[in-house]
Amino acid sequence: MTAIKMKMIKRLGLAALLITVSAPTWAKLSEFQLDNGMKVLVKEDHRAPVVVQQVWYRVGSTYEQVGKTGLSHMLEHMMFKGTKTLKPGEFSKIVSQLGGQENAFTTANYTAYYQVVGKQNLEKVMQIESDRMRNLVIDDAEFNKERDVVTEERRWRLEDNPRSKLNEQFNATAFLNSPARNPVIGWMTDIRSYKSQDLRDWYKKWYAPNNATLVIVGDVQPQKVLELAKKYYGGYQPEAMPVLKPQTEITQEGVRRIELKGNTQVPSLQMGFHVPSLVTAKDKREVYALSVLSSILDGGESSRLPQSLVRDQQIAAGVSAGYNATDRLETLFELSGTPVNGQDIKEVEKALLTEVEKLKKKPVSRQELDRVLAMDEADHVYYRDSIQAQASILGSLVSVGLPPDTLDNWIENIRSVTPEEIQAVAKKYLTNDNLTVAVLYPDGKDHSKIKAYTGRL
Amino acid sequence: MKRFTVLLIVCFGTLLLSVQASASVEIKTWHTSQGSKVMYVHSPELPMLDIEVAFDAGSARDGEKWGLASMTSALIGTQTPNLSEKQISRKTNELGAKINGGVDRDMANFSLRTLTRESIFKPALELFRESLTQSVFNPEIFNRERQRLLVALKQQQMDPSEIARNEFWKQLYGNHPYAHPVSGSIETVKALKLEDLQDFYKRYIVAANATISIVGDVSLKEAKEISENLMKSLPKGQKPAALPEPENLKTAQRSVIKFDSSQTYFRQGQIGVERGDPDYYALFLGNHLLGGSGFGSLLMEEVREKRGLVYSVGSGFAPMRVAGPWLSYLSTKNQSANEAEKVVVDTLKAFMKSIDDKHFQAIKDNLIGGFPLRIDSNAKIVGYISMIGFYDLPLDYLDQFPKIIESLSKEDVLKAWKKHIHPDKMVTVMVGNPA
Repeated sequence: MTAIKMKMIKRLGLAALLITVSAPTWAKLSEFQLDNGMKVLVKEDHRAPVVVQQVWYRVGSTYEQVGKTGLSHMLEHMMFKGTKTLKPGEFSKIVSQLGGQENAFTTANYTAYYQVVGKQNLEKVMQIESDRMRNLVIDDAEFNKERDVVTEERRWRLEDNPRSKLNEQFNATAFLNSPARNPVIGWMTDIRSYKSQDLRDWYKKWYAPNNATLVIVGDVQPQKVLELAKKYYGGYQPEAMPVLKPQTEITQEGVRRIELKGNTQVPSLQMGFHVPSLVTAKDKREVYALSVLSSILDGGESSRLPQSLVRDQQIAAGVSAGYNATDRLETLFELSGTPVNGQDIKEVEKALLTEVEKLKKKPVSRQELDRVLAMDEADHVYYRDSIQAQASILGSLVSVGLPPDTLDNWIENIRSVTPEEIQAVAKKYLTNDNLTVAVLYPDGKDHSKIKAYTGRL
Repeated sequence: MKRFTVLLIVCFGTLLLSVQASASVEIKTWHTSQGSKVMYVHSPELPMLDIEVAFDAGSARDGEKWGLASMTSALIGTQTPNLSEKQISRKTNELGAKINGGVDRDMANFSLRTLTRESIFKPALELFRESLTQSVFNPEIFNRERQRLLVALKQQQMDPSEIARNEFWKQLYGNHPYAHPVSGSIETVKALKLEDLQDFYKRYIVAANATISIVGDVSLKEAKEISENLMKSLPKGQKPAALPEPENLKTAQRSVIKFDSSQTYFRQGQIGVERGDPDYYALFLGNHLLGGSGFGSLLMEEVREKRGLVYSVGSGFAPMRVAGPWLSYLSTKNQSANEAEKVVVDTLKAFMKSIDDKHFQAIKDNLIGGFPLRIDSNAKIVGYISMIGFYDLPLDYLDQFPKIIESLSKEDVLKAWKKHIHPDKMVTVMVGNPA
């Protein structure tokens, strides 16, 4: 039963969840907008006396400029370093003492902060979260220490992890002029060159109520939440938000390839085709078709890639397909694989592309479509077991400019996808001239200067 | 990119330790006619069901054949007398069901998540029963899955944090069955035979060795039928003998493995306590303050917030069937490794000397106030009742936890720490190029 999963790291776990779930009709969602432009979404879930608050800012690595990549992520770190009234670290201490859990995350598309607390503590976390929306203090000494922390984070995530490094370079190859090429954590040189003023400027530029969305899910009454939102967030003035240049990715006109030699004994492969997202697509039906296509290839153990490459042909130890349908900018349809011992990585590439060609030649069967639907429908119930997942989906949609009911309509949209539409998007987008391939090879060095770890690991 | 990522360091299921305050989880328990223990919580809000079946069949039962428990579990449910591998995976996906398995040192654990809609519910349960209890071990599937595991093991050899993890268990547990990696080693996995898996399955995947946990939209009557039916085709069998007690180190031990990485991966600790140890509450409370609660903890404050030396740092107990480890962990650039170690050691020593009143109250507030969060979903509840059932903890374990935490004094905590933790007899592991 334990399939040995060796999937490549998905760039954004949330999107993976997103494309498979949808809000059930009985979930009550209330939508408000404060006078200063801040969006407020409240979803009731009374199963436990618990509530999650999330605040989402529309800023992430795709908003950044050359030389200052990772600034959004660095700012996320600084948001815990004190305000006019709170000392560095005090925010976390308050949440901890309430028995709460908190964290924050930055992606290509947004930066979000959250706390999960007992419902009686919602007001307190709303008060301190609203405080740091406008009152952050970036102290030079705190900033210098935290920049060191972020360089350690980069070492841990990237420098000592060749697969993550491959992903970073793959992305920067697939996108030439679009900011989608920026690594979320930033290039090491960029991190080292931040000045505290860069952070202050970035904060001032993007952290405004009219660039934020408040999402609350849990054991709450929407009107009560709205009152609290007005009280704590409603007093801030809206700001004129910067208008981003389009930076639309140029059309790819031929395959691109890179190699990376790294500290690994096993090669691996990442491939991607430029495709539209739900935000950028002229014809949204193409997005639904691509999403179903992704599930046909890699949705469950019975889907085509694990069945064909891992079980039937036995050339891959792990394979995956993925599509972030809700990216803010044009995105990628990705494939990846790791060969089993003795198999050439080129064979894995060939086999993955063969599966793509099959999709173009022969329409998928009704049975396969039904399987994808069944899994989506089930997931659409399962995800409601977590208030965090419910809130995250709402916040991520709204933060890229999609309506919050995108999910409610998802199943219906997926249901209407035809085999012909899947064939059409495969032919249109999954072409050789639109392909980027990145391969990780062992560098052949002995990184362990003592004995090899055969035997006792 | 998260500001803080919790490293899943020690066999994690057992770290989930928990409790609740006002909201209560009402657990019902019984044994099936085959002798399986059942734990059940009615949770009707969502039309779904979670089942977990835990067997005392973790890697501690490998003997010399390291990786046996893990490979056996990987093969369970791949084929039955009636269903091919392809049919099983198709059926699972067609039902939208999730069937998973996992192994740690103590247990092999199999789970089903399904909708309770009539047309899906029965076939999903039947599929789960058949794949768990009627497994056929096909040589071709065995060879294929073994090849995949060997690829993963090969990759682990180049992963400094994985090397540090394995080295720590090895140094700490010596010849004890907890010492070796759950997935085995390349050599031992290569030496496994199909018959080994079949024998392991027959010996350990038996009704008397199973704990079944059920949470979801099913009545008590249905839960009884489900558990009875699930085990009906398994032989009764018997529980395995108790594991030997591990012995703590007499002296400090240090292992530095040179590795070409930008960071040094550090682990330091010793043998802690078993699940059910009466001192666990005081140890847990103390550890929560020392390094178990992220930004509320002393290690995070000293190593990261004051000095900027790391991205993540922490400490934890992993209470297991017999005494599991306590350890602290971090990774930092090679030049900072020795400095970071010194801060960890000094922080531990200062903590064991005296605890500040304000810190102590804050960490108690955190645990007590945070109880409802630990049981706010079916997934979390099934995890807890499975743990309570498997380790034979009292049924009111969750209810008692906040009360006991509340009653503990600083002196209780320090006394327990001094009894169990000896800073001069630690195992220290560093992988990297510590300067």
